[in-house]
Amino acid sequence: MAESVDLAQIIVGCRKGDSQCFSQLVDMYASRCYGYFYRLTGNSDISDELLSELFVKLVEKIATYNGGSFESWLFKIATNIFHDFLRSKQRRKKLLEVRKGQLEAEFTEYKKSGDEQIDKLQIQLKRLDTDTRELIMLRFYSQLSFKEMAKMRSEPIGTTLAKLHRGLKKLREIMEG
Amino acid sequence: MNDRNQENLKELLEQFMGSEQARMRLEDIERGEQILREHPAPEPDDMLLANIKAQIALHVLPHRATAFKWISYRVAAVAAAAIVLAAVWTSLFNEHTIPRSQQPVEYASVFPWDHHDSAVFNTRLEQIENDLQALEMGDEDVDNDSAITELEIKVTEIAGDFWKG
Repeated sequence: MAESVDLAQIIVGCRKGDSQCFSQLVDMYASRCYGYFYRLTGNSDISDELLSELFVKLVEKIATYNGGSFESWLFKIATNIFHDFLRSKQRRKKLLEVRKGQLEAEFTEYKKSGDEQIDKLQIQLKRLDTDTRELIMLRFYSQLSFKEMAKMRSEPIGTTLAKLHRGLKKLREIMEG
Repeated sequence: MNDRNQENLKELLEQFMGSEQARMRLEDIERGEQILREHPAPEPDDMLLANIKAQIALHVLPHRATAFKWISYRVAAVAAAAIVLAAVWTSLFNEHTIPRSQQPVEYASVFPWDHHDSAVFNTRLEQIENDLQALEMGDEDVDNDSAITELEIKVTEIAGDFWKG
């Protein structure tokens, strides 16, 4: 509750154009949003870019936030930014090239040493379809409820539940298999 | 601000399936999320965060400047309107000012001929109008063909005078 009050005060400050309040939002959400972008793109440079874009959008759009779940509002913007990124053909091509290089490098390294430090999850996530991967990451990093996620995705709550369950079950199977 | 903490996932799942199936699904979801927790994504770089904060500070400044400009423009517009109103008020209600209706008005003539010429034309036009009326009334005293011919001659004559100036 106290956290909600604090957040509400920070948002009021942001709406007044207080850059310190925006910095506080960066400290509160940068890690989660970065994780969300990183798990979806698998690339730290692109994630850096998308995170910067997210906070610039946040400054521009803060006046349109009309209460309700801030996380829901913020991750809606993050999702739109990710979709814009996917739509951009040039960037998509760049992403595929980067991913190809990355996977090749990871595979070579894995064969050489069997290093446990390699991000196995990031490799296995590629075996899920984009929508499922996005849903899993949205749930994990935004910490939204199923009700909020279903509303954001404009689909029935049963659909969101079923998709997430299927996705996580598959992820578990490929990670443990 | 989000209601995830208040959400009872088991109850939610039981709305769609039996208790045993809901328990199994809950287990799958929790285990999947456990895997995600065990494999944390990298953290954003401190330098990146510093850059973002600097970028925000730069973005906030123009927003403030824009707001100031917007207010300034509104004040300027209101001031201009007040000045115009004051000017109108002064010109309308100043006692020493001669009312517009009493002021002599001078018009420049757009016609190249003088008043005498226009009087001649008016007389001829009246004549033509009278002849036309007679024709329309079917006046028996007037011979129609000769009247029309006469009328045409008059019109040609007027047109000639007109172009001569």
